[in-house]
Amino acid sequence: MSLVVDVMGGGVAGGTSIMFAALGETVGERSGVINLGTEGSMLVGALTAYAVATDSGNPWMGALAGAVAGGTLAALHAYLVVFRGASQFAVGLSLLFLALGLTSLFGAAYVGRPVVGFSDWHVPLLSDVPALGPIFFQHDPLLYLSYLLVPAVWFALFRTRLGLLVRTAGERADSLTVHGYSVSWTRFGAVTFGGMLAGLGGAHLSIAYANAWFENMVSGRGFIAVALVIFAVWSPWRVMGGAYLFGMAIALGPALQARGYEWNQFALDAIPFVMTLAVLAVLGRRTLSSSPAELKRVFENAPT
Amino acid sequence: MTAITSADLTGSNPAPVAVRLLKLLPGLGRWVLAIAAALAIFSVLLAVKNVNPVDAYSKMIDSTFNRPRSVQEIFVQMTPLVLGALAVAVPARAGLTNVGGEGQIIIGAVAACGTSLMLGDSAPGGLIIAAMLVASMVAGALWAGLAAALRLVAGVNEAISTLLLNFIALDVLLYLIYQPWRDNPVGQPTTKELVDTAKLPVVAAGNKVHIGLFIALGLVVAVHLLLNRTRWGFRISVAGGNAEAARRAGLNVGVLVISALMIGGALAGLAGMIHFAGVEYKLRPGFGNQLGYTSFLACWLARHQPFPIVVAALVFATLSVAGDSLQLDSGLPGSSVNVLTALILLAVLGFTTKRKVSRS
Repeated sequence: MSLVVDVMGGGVAGGTSIMFAALGETVGERSGVINLGTEGSMLVGALTAYAVATDSGNPWMGALAGAVAGGTLAALHAYLVVFRGASQFAVGLSLLFLALGLTSLFGAAYVGRPVVGFSDWHVPLLSDVPALGPIFFQHDPLLYLSYLLVPAVWFALFRTRLGLLVRTAGERADSLTVHGYSVSWTRFGAVTFGGMLAGLGGAHLSIAYANAWFENMVSGRGFIAVALVIFAVWSPWRVMGGAYLFGMAIALGPALQARGYEWNQFALDAIPFVMTLAVLAVLGRRTLSSSPAELKRVFENAPT
Repeated sequence: MTAITSADLTGSNPAPVAVRLLKLLPGLGRWVLAIAAALAIFSVLLAVKNVNPVDAYSKMIDSTFNRPRSVQEIFVQMTPLVLGALAVAVPARAGLTNVGGEGQIIIGAVAACGTSLMLGDSAPGGLIIAAMLVASMVAGALWAGLAAALRLVAGVNEAISTLLLNFIALDVLLYLIYQPWRDNPVGQPTTKELVDTAKLPVVAAGNKVHIGLFIALGLVVAVHLLLNRTRWGFRISVAGGNAEAARRAGLNVGVLVISALMIGGALAGLAGMIHFAGVEYKLRPGFGNQLGYTSFLACWLARHQPFPIVVAALVFATLSVAGDSLQLDSGLPGSSVNVLTALILLAVLGFTTKRKVSRS
């Protein structure tokens, strides 16, 4: 029982940074743009949040700055892809390198510096519920924000005019043009918003989850987020579930080790990726048919 | 060289060479501007970090080109990049995006290392090298073949699956060097060093450049011929251009997809073996870090054409060596040079091609 609660609670805590990023990527991909630079947005978000939180002593300022930094990098992606017609895959990877370089250039000064991060806050009453309490309600405030964000993004995407515009940019870009809206600016907005969430995810990693900054600390979480969006068939709720699943796979190793089971951590580390591939293999054709139409064009015409 | 390059870029245009070169001029201006802009932005960042940009650049140039060791290092680092970029270019011709160079390189090196461990130190060096070559190419091809199979059987896009396979390959590598293949009980875990006779021969005693460079350059020519002069090369480009039309013309698109991705994987696997047997001699946790992604971008810089890939790989290798100078002479973290690399790439990707029609 306690192992299950541990792993699930750890999955929620560790999966949240991935969820933020994947939620943002969902919005971007719904508009027809894939951003492999999500990993980069998370990196600059993580460092900026850490730096601002350290220097200002206020973690909320840090989180905000992280979101701005992640959004800025994504805006660059959107500009080059949408307005300059550059390759989405190549620009996304270049942005990862840009983020790796920038965070190494400006991050060296923050390695090992103590930070005023978010501290855990147990939700009154709810945190006392057996099992569910420790799993969901004994975390940091930024994580609670993500509980609100999932329904908010779902509502915005599927119940508001703005969401309709974003989804139309991804499904039937032409009809958006016909109605006098700009496909380019809609996509620019969606991708930039996605980057802000990825930055927030990075912030959660550095000032709420790990409370530390070190080079390349995101280590693949951004790529997991991109894969997760497809795994979740572009649905915010499934992104949430999927992110926790990934988080749990990551949390399983340490939890087992703490109980004296000897496991090779790297065999466990591979689980989320194998799992995603397996799910994609099973759902492959179904996910493909429900993918935003404009996104399909990106995949099928990748090399120019 | 220039003539071949321009012909590749503009297709089989029968116009005289001089005319073609003239047409390239405005494009060339864009390239120069793009790279100048990247250097300028990086200067600003250096200035922010209290490093004099002029000083840093001149030290970079000096220590990169005026020291024989650095020049050798450029050629050494360029070798796996050339192969890794070819591994992107071949599938690209078939309309496939191989983001999996990273994993295929690692798996190739793992296969090479495993082969050398299996054969033992007493086997003749030539035999070990030959076996490692074959094993790494087969392993890389199979690793990429997984992605091809997923695409054909389940419709999983290869850009996503190859990307995911990178992380699995990394975990395979770490698993092996932390447990079964670990040679040193303390410190950073590594595998046993390759026996001297099985290391790739260097071009001259005391020189770091090994024969892998010539294998890579030979394969550039081979891939160029394969893509542009064979029936198979023509067929994959038809399938890449329009799969439906290819099917109606009676081509087996499935076989073409699998073969293009597997050849790509084999080339990347070979890159891993050459980096292992020519440079590192043992596996360690950071083995081949970002070689695959850098190769992917080098291939984009070269617009997926074999001969320009050599130039792109040379540029990236030079930048990487220049990064060491940034660390030694200017006291900045070594990976800062990634900023310069990325800026150049972004400038080239975004501002050197004619703008596509954007539907706004």
